[in-house]
Amino acid sequence: MEQVIGIEAQKYPRLLKEIGNEAPKKLYYKGNWEEFFPAKAGSRSAAGENCLAVVGSRHLTSYGRKITEQLVTEIAAAGITIVSGFMYGGDEAAHKATVRMGGRTIAVMPCGIDIIHPEYQKELYNEILEKNGLIISEYEGKFLPVNWTYVQRNRIVAGLSKAILVVEAGLNSGSLITAKYAKKYGRKIFAVPGQITSEVSKGTIKLIKEGAEPVSEANDILKFFKVLVNPVKRAPSSQNSQNFVSSGLTKSGSLEQKIIEQLKREPMEADLIARTLGVSVAKIGTALSLMQLKGFINQESGKYYIN
Amino acid sequence: MLIKVPSVVNLGLETIKVDVEVNLANRGLPGFEIVGLPDKAVDESKERVRAAISSSGIDFPAKKITINLAPADIPKEGSLYDLPIAVGILSSVLGFPIPKNSLFLGELSFDGSLRHTKGALLMALFAKEFRFENLFVPKDSANEAGAIKGVKVFPVENLIQLSSHFLKRKSIEPVSGQKILDALPAPAEFDMREVLGQEQAKRAMEIAAAGGHNIIMVGSPGSGKTMLARALPGILPPLNETESLEVTKIYSAAGNIPPGGSLITNRQFRAPHHTASLVGLVGGGARPHPGEISLAHRGVLFLDEFNEFPHSVMEAMRQPLEDGYLTISRSKQRVMYPADFMLVASANPCPCGYLNHPKKICICSPLQIKKYQKRVSGPILDRIDLHIAIQPVDTTEFSDNQKNSELLESSKAIKQRVVLARQKQEKRFENDSIQSNAQMKNTHIKNYCKLEKDIEELLYRASIKFQLSARSYMKTIKVARTIADLEGAEEIAISHMAEALQYKPKIYEL
Repeated sequence: MEQVIGIEAQKYPRLLKEIGNEAPKKLYYKGNWEEFFPAKAGSRSAAGENCLAVVGSRHLTSYGRKITEQLVTEIAAAGITIVSGFMYGGDEAAHKATVRMGGRTIAVMPCGIDIIHPEYQKELYNEILEKNGLIISEYEGKFLPVNWTYVQRNRIVAGLSKAILVVEAGLNSGSLITAKYAKKYGRKIFAVPGQITSEVSKGTIKLIKEGAEPVSEANDILKFFKVLVNPVKRAPSSQNSQNFVSSGLTKSGSLEQKIIEQLKREPMEADLIARTLGVSVAKIGTALSLMQLKGFINQESGKYYIN
Repeated sequence: MLIKVPSVVNLGLETIKVDVEVNLANRGLPGFEIVGLPDKAVDESKERVRAAISSSGIDFPAKKITINLAPADIPKEGSLYDLPIAVGILSSVLGFPIPKNSLFLGELSFDGSLRHTKGALLMALFAKEFRFENLFVPKDSANEAGAIKGVKVFPVENLIQLSSHFLKRKSIEPVSGQKILDALPAPAEFDMREVLGQEQAKRAMEIAAAGGHNIIMVGSPGSGKTMLARALPGILPPLNETESLEVTKIYSAAGNIPPGGSLITNRQFRAPHHTASLVGLVGGGARPHPGEISLAHRGVLFLDEFNEFPHSVMEAMRQPLEDGYLTISRSKQRVMYPADFMLVASANPCPCGYLNHPKKICICSPLQIKKYQKRVSGPILDRIDLHIAIQPVDTTEFSDNQKNSELLESSKAIKQRVVLARQKQEKRFENDSIQSNAQMKNTHIKNYCKLEKDIEELLYRASIKFQLSARSYMKTIKVARTIADLEGAEEIAISHMAEALQYKPKIYEL
């Protein structure tokens, strides 16, 4: 049986229909449609009613990835459905964070429903379906993705959602196109501020200048959805049996403490820490390895972060 | 009239005695023939010998001359038989006897002078082993042969001088008390202090130099990978006597010792381009020739743009990386060349090169990056002890003090530590067949790297957290051993192990 929903169907997403003649005539899908869009129209409790589109650059920085994970985890935990486009980078980070925490997610594909694109994200694709997510596309069968289908896909991402969160976006990026559609359809736009020197913050800064709401915590978005939750403090990953660890644990003024002070301001690579603190890189390396093993800090793409 | 002039043939690094038999027959038409599997260079020696003898003012005998290079079934190559052939003919013409216990080698010029000829050192070693007292070699190759003590090396300038020596008119003074001149100094193009920032990479270079570890640097274009590699020769410890001889042998066989040079005492730095042929890199050919990896023996092989090297080259390097030598087998001969080098590789993180760059955006898709990184085969990466990520440095962010290279540590200062660490290793491995920490096998690690319980636990936890393979586990211990040696510590401490973990293989996350 082909799984397809026509625009006239009761089960057709209400919000998407509102975008008028831009709404896709048909939606092919995989997964449990009723979970998201039950036949009884306007059921406010259905998962498909409270959608947040989360989009970000394909070339997400480690900052962007971290923020996406953090925000999406909290938002999805509050029961908001995360919609995105299954591209690598920002989309993938959003889907991944949602399924990891057990939330609901909808992936809108730029290609025929029977194709996984990009194919190497097959694992994530299956994970979405396993965890009660929904995969949809307006294209049938094995229709291959082309330049314009990505743009068309973005209008569905925007159309399905009440609000859109742009994590990182360059100028002339797909994420900004999604934001443009969202604006056109009258959706709320949230943007994550970043460093003004970063290429992938230029788009989000532009959005903020144009009136998008800057986001600094999940509650900024949850307020809009009228769900208020206590800020979830992520419990630091449990560390058991710390015998070699406990010995040199962060006395004030110790090298470890100094490193943490530095990393609190911004993530740094070992060279910069050594240079700033004026300590030999050998000693810094030793401290960083130990702190990493203790779980205080983490390394991602060369830089160290506080956990 | 039959005259025998002894010389040698070098097959790879092996030397075999060759008798150059010169027969001048009074019967038959005048002519000049060489037999005994000569190659083109040997065969052309006829013309050189004829011209050289004539220009020396001696009438070339109008007789039927036949030269036999015995044993006749071993192929001979090169120009080294010019001198023995000429000496044979001259001995007949001028009537002097061929001195006993002598070996001859040298290429002739048309004017009768001798040119620098490859393989002089190999012949001197052979002479020493088989008790040949006198060596007659070109003047330019005399220093090379003279590096071997216990043989008399006569530097021959030209045929006239040699004839007067044999006719006892004016004797040639043998080279003696040879002062060892470094044949190929390896000047570092940069001093480490010229490299601003890159503290961790410099430290890794120091560790690599001290323990002979292989190292790979991954970073964006312009981040200073090549500069760091080029500064490396300045901190390498000098070759010891045995090593020096091993290296000079290879260079002598390859003809890479410059005229007048003797022993090579510096570790060599070879940087072949990625378009170099497989044979050029690992050695080979119909008559096996040492490749770049053998020329880098006991030194450094720097492979810039490592991912660009063809798969075949990388695979061919696996055996030498493991065993320290390479066997080239041909149907007619089998040659073993030592190739115990320190591999220094540099690579871009992705096809566009800007993955994780602080300013520029990488435009590669994850799939492209994966494919690109997969071009370096796993087994090769597995044999690299130190992995470092290099970030481009923005010197405008440096304070004046940090920018002042005078305040940074010079290569000389680093070298001192490296040399001390090497000495410790030499002492440690006195009774083993290895020289450096990087060469340790598991049994050596068991003997020389005793780990306290808490260090072992640290490593165990790290291996889980960072997903270290069994081989990486061992590599980390080796690196920790070198770090301890640099510090002059007898036992590996927690701090050494923790620092060693900084250089573990990196997974380039997107």
